[in-house]
Amino acid sequence: MSATDAMAPVYQEDVPLPRRRDWLLWVGAGVVATVVVLALIGPWLAPYDPTSTTPDVSVPPPALAEIPGLLSGVLRGNLAEAPHWMGTDASGFDIFSRIIVAPRTDLSIALVSNILSLVLGVLLGLLAGYFRNLATEAMMRVSDVVQSFPAFISAMILVALAGRSLGNIIIALALLYTPIYIRLTRAEVMAQKVRGFVEAARAMGNSELTIALRHVLPNALTPALIQSSVTIGFAILLTAGLSYVGAGVRPPTPEWGLMIANGANQLILGEWWSSVFPGIAISLTVFGFAVLGNALERRYERD
Amino acid sequence: MGRYIVKRVAVGLVQLIGLTVAVFFLIRLLPADPASRLVGMNPSREAYEQARHQLGLDQPLLTQLGAYLGLSSSGPGLLEGDFGTSWVTSSPVGSEIATYLPVTLELVTISFLIAFLVSVPIGMVGALNPGGRSDKAVFVYGLFAGSQPEFWWGLLFVYVFFFALGWAPAPLGSLSPMTSPPPSVTGFLTIDSLLAGQPDVFVEALQHLVLPVATLVFVLSGPIVKMVRQNMARALRADFVLYANCAGLPPARVARYALRAAMAPSMTLIGILYGFMLGGAVLVENVFSLPGIGQYAVRAVLAYDYPAIQGVVLVITALSLVVYLGIDLIHAAIDPRIVH
Repeated sequence: MSATDAMAPVYQEDVPLPRRRDWLLWVGAGVVATVVVLALIGPWLAPYDPTSTTPDVSVPPPALAEIPGLLSGVLRGNLAEAPHWMGTDASGFDIFSRIIVAPRTDLSIALVSNILSLVLGVLLGLLAGYFRNLATEAMMRVSDVVQSFPAFISAMILVALAGRSLGNIIIALALLYTPIYIRLTRAEVMAQKVRGFVEAARAMGNSELTIALRHVLPNALTPALIQSSVTIGFAILLTAGLSYVGAGVRPPTPEWGLMIANGANQLILGEWWSSVFPGIAISLTVFGFAVLGNALERRYERD
Repeated sequence: MGRYIVKRVAVGLVQLIGLTVAVFFLIRLLPADPASRLVGMNPSREAYEQARHQLGLDQPLLTQLGAYLGLSSSGPGLLEGDFGTSWVTSSPVGSEIATYLPVTLELVTISFLIAFLVSVPIGMVGALNPGGRSDKAVFVYGLFAGSQPEFWWGLLFVYVFFFALGWAPAPLGSLSPMTSPPPSVTGFLTIDSLLAGQPDVFVEALQHLVLPVATLVFVLSGPIVKMVRQNMARALRADFVLYANCAGLPPARVARYALRAAMAPSMTLIGILYGFMLGGAVLVENVFSLPGIGQYAVRAVLAYDYPAIQGVVLVITALSLVVYLGIDLIHAAIDPRIVH
């Protein structure tokens, strides 16, 4: 959850940076690719089981000077047990293992909820933009009301009252994000449907529904797709925030926000590692998605 | 202008009624059981039924809605300005919100003012050197600060400034536990302490605000910098800027003209951000144990306290709508073309 969540519905053209090679695009794509790979194969890379405790409690991460030695030890396979690269938390969980398995939770929540709201929002937005009548106007008003909910508190209410499960978090986020896609798609459809190719398709004898689905929709999809990169990042922030206040996934699920929350009490006593590392993971990931979305948006506007 | 305001207020009221009814049904259709939460573990059948009866949950939904709105004879309801009684604390939700809300308003308003003062110059630096090194730095900063987990930054600040350096007070509320708060007049600690003539309490309240405000300023500066940079760059490409430059006006003066033109479209976004922060400050309140409306919402939600949940959502949304209206009025004052 972040301040820019509020900006998501406001689709503003960005000022292009005059530069041929867009290194930001590659930074964003690199971060996103890393997180996706971790979500796919994280559990096989983790040296420890992320959901069971080890007897070593509150072990600090190795000092910088020890890292080369430990690395070569791991590569030669002559260590008695795998090192705790990022230490262990107060319950004895290996932090490194949990961090690289957590994208499974965080990314799947963000991805699935966004796909749901993207599909629903694009279809409803297409209807609202293409067929403008009483029914679609009423739908827009409902979408306005949903958008006027205080986002974080609404998500908290939905998840806490429906039960703190993965599925309920996904549904809650999908509900909150659908109006953004409705609005974006509707605006784009209204701009596209007055163009010549629509007239041509109509002259060819296509039905209105066919025109809307086959001709207008593909041309009106891009803003929503670009927005989804940004929204996925914010969904990760919201998921982590929900866990932080105790209205998200249940422990011991490996999830970055939950890890930060678990480490928060130790932080004041000087045990910084259990909160700092998962925070860096969230910070980089959401930044990566934001950068990627922004770079794609600028690219789209240049064309 | 008058008609515009009346129309906006009317639309806002309809929206609030829609929201109230939607929230009312939503929380009752979700499979939570507030009665069992209230009677605790392993209650007798009678105790459970009695709790349900006390909360009115054994009534049909429409009867419950009528009672909540104050349409039935059972007592005053929302339409008379009564938010009902908290199921957990048994005190009126309205007065509870009145004590929690000022804490959030104080935090968010101070953060906004500072974020604005800090971000406008940063955004301008970027816009005045389009494509330059500083522009790129400003651009990346805006993206970065706008996509950060604020609760984590709050914790980092606590670690560095409280634990490591010892400069800031412990993150345990808006005053230290030993200090007795000044008599509540406005609910804003900084104002109340001055009214009561207690400058030491005022200073202490400020000290406790430094870290939460710094956290919010950081995350708020992201979107504001981004927006100022965009709007400013657009304004600088306008014809009147070209003209001002040709007329030989000093660059600082031209920048000031452009800033005014850039501020008008930025106002809307500032309003949306402020409304968003009223509920969005919950995580920062949580980190620093500030007794704000967000903390109240968390408590209400986790305890299934329906009247409190409804009250919080309604008050935050109503406040956001008021802020949007106020911002639109300011916007219209800066740019009179909007009214027409």
